[in-house]
Amino acid sequence: MTLAAGALTTQTNPLNRVLDLHRRYYYYKRTHLTSSIMSQRTERRGIHVDQSDLLCKKGCGYYGNAAWQGLCSKCWREEYQRVRQKQIQDDWALAEKLQREEDAAYASSHGAQTQPHGQSSAPHPGHASLGPFSKFEEKKTNEKTRKVTTVKKFFSPSSRTPPKKETQEGKTPSPSISRHSSFETDQVSRDFVDFLKNLQRPGREIHKQCRAFIVNMSSKKDLSAEELSECVQDFYQNMADRLMSHFKGSSESVEQVMDQVEKYIMTRLYKGVFCPETSDDERKDLATQNRIRALHWVTIQMLCVSMDEEIPEVSENVVKAITDVIEMDSKRVPRDKLACITRCSKHIFSAIRITKNEPASADDFLPALIYIVLKANPPRLQSNIQYITRFCNPSRLMTGEDGYYFTNLCCATAFIEKLDAQSLNLSPEEFERYMSGQASPRLHSSEGDWALAGSAPDATAVATTNPVLVQLNQNLELLSGLISKQERVTEAAQSLQADLLSWPQSVEREVHGVLEKYPLEVAPRTVSAIDANNVDNDNLPPPLTPQVFAG
Amino acid sequence: MAAGGAGGNSGRTYSFKVVLLGEGCVGKTSLVLRYCENKFNDKHITTLQASFLTKKLNITGKRVNLAIWDTAGQERFHALGPIYYRDSNGAVLVYDITDEDSFQKVKNWVKELRKMLGNEICLCIVGNKIDLDKDRHVSVEEAESYAESVGARHYHTSAKLNKGIEELFLDLCKRMMENAQAEERLKGNGASQSASSRRGVQIVDDEPQATPAGGCCSSG
Repeated sequence: MTLAAGALTTQTNPLNRVLDLHRRYYYYKRTHLTSSIMSQRTERRGIHVDQSDLLCKKGCGYYGNAAWQGLCSKCWREEYQRVRQKQIQDDWALAEKLQREEDAAYASSHGAQTQPHGQSSAPHPGHASLGPFSKFEEKKTNEKTRKVTTVKKFFSPSSRTPPKKETQEGKTPSPSISRHSSFETDQVSRDFVDFLKNLQRPGREIHKQCRAFIVNMSSKKDLSAEELSECVQDFYQNMADRLMSHFKGSSESVEQVMDQVEKYIMTRLYKGVFCPETSDDERKDLATQNRIRALHWVTIQMLCVSMDEEIPEVSENVVKAITDVIEMDSKRVPRDKLACITRCSKHIFSAIRITKNEPASADDFLPALIYIVLKANPPRLQSNIQYITRFCNPSRLMTGEDGYYFTNLCCATAFIEKLDAQSLNLSPEEFERYMSGQASPRLHSSEGDWALAGSAPDATAVATTNPVLVQLNQNLELLSGLISKQERVTEAAQSLQADLLSWPQSVEREVHGVLEKYPLEVAPRTVSAIDANNVDNDNLPPPLTPQVFAG
Repeated sequence: MAAGGAGGNSGRTYSFKVVLLGEGCVGKTSLVLRYCENKFNDKHITTLQASFLTKKLNITGKRVNLAIWDTAGQERFHALGPIYYRDSNGAVLVYDITDEDSFQKVKNWVKELRKMLGNEICLCIVGNKIDLDKDRHVSVEEAESYAESVGARHYHTSAKLNKGIEELFLDLCKRMMENAQAEERLKGNGASQSASSRRGVQIVDDEPQATPAGGCCSSG
């Protein structure tokens, strides 16, 4: 049906007009006779419309309309309402499903004294009347219940712990937080529950704690960023201490659980605590962004970066590093943001390694990172740094590798903020001119203003010309080469075309010549009867005669 | 958990953060690569980078995780020092014995570290490149007496000849462990180590701990 409707609606305008005219006319007459006339007429205009295409798709006998997907007005109204009704019910069912899952998860944290999963017991009003859809709904509810039961199974009271303090939290309006949560947060919650499954009893305890904490935090919206950070850090600390005593000091398990806890609560809290209105993070973001923009003229040589971007692999790594540091803003969990920084750093190390052929030290790394940050101008850099500092699990920030790279990013940002003529080995006047846009170092780089002393590796100091310009020139050369090649190809094609055009003429000429030379003489045909006497029998060989051999 | 070196009971793993400070060409990287990979100027060094390295040690039956943070030594990055060495348990300050300036730099860093971190941090002053003794510009006596005056230990090393490096880090680890244990005792037994080990993460705003005048250079 949709296919037919689609075919109809894609017809061109005049056709529609014609159809419309026809429809009006035949609707009025509505006889079978007319249809044949119509088909004649349309055929004359080269249009093939079948009678059945014009009737209502419902088969009610009335004529349909393309605008109503081939239905007549009455059937269309019915159909439309039905679809809408179904949509509403679907949405409702989905909302209910989410709520049940939430309830199940939540109730279980109260020692699983649950039963309120109504399951499929309450059919939606008006179901019965909707024949074909009720089946579909049934399937859906089946799916739903299956899901709920698995969650329930996992939280079922079969475990030996008696429900402890279920009293004071009984009335917390917990599901309301998740009510308007996005798909992502739902996914994270599900993962979290899945993860905690493996932990059994402590898993439930952890889940309860986290939920209570989130509820608690949602009521503290107007605290300052520092106070929020304090709350979260205290929570981490308490959780880590408890886990520590539970796992008897196995720090790996503790870290693992803490990562999950961080992921869960920070995904939930992100909206409220990232770049909060109570802080001036946003202002700082803008300031940094403008600052980096103003410093667009800083070259790789001024920073003494030991990366040679003319090597394709190096520039590839540089691009990847830039992408990674920009991607940081799109993550919600502090640890995921850290992972972006780490990936960025690894790409920088690769670039340095390729250029210098030795492992990168901090002396190489920090300038390179500064360069990358300047190139990338990562969105909301300050907010992200603040967010990670405030809400990341401390053990990761303080000692781990991720922490080291994060610290370097902080250093790079601080350096960019305070950057002055001296830190680029420029004279203050030059710096001023570049900053104000009166001059650009790229234009007279041949002067070698920044043949830098110190630890600048020779390779990069020699490459005084801007690699971008070099690349540009190369590309231009390549392009002009391509253009000349193309011209040659076009010429050849044109000559070929001329040849092709002249060829039939020459063939014709030749044929004419031959024909003139050897004119065709048509000998008058002598038609003779087969059995005529004058057939030149004499020329025929004698008939075969059977020969008889003796013996 | 691996919080800031304040590891407690004997069964637990200590985690220490050590910053590596020193001017551009004093051989910081060589030193740490020699220690962690036992290689010097080797084309076959496998590690991608030498700026963050870890080493696992076992000292008198106690596990120690050492994280060595290299820092950018160029003069223009000097101001960023505090961001690097915050929360570190130890600092290795490297100078080149053939380069008087690099020793001067070390003195600056020592002052700064003592000002910012007080006496909690273990300082090691390291005279590197002793294989070039004939070009020595920093006298042994001067360096050692200075180290003593600021409560640091002095070591002579050569990354090229692999001399003194193992001792340097082993000694540093032992001192950091002592510090950690002393801190633990100070907190009193039983009282959980919660709040204090966390405080360290609160970056940025911590005002430098004001040490009483003159106190910074006297303790051992």
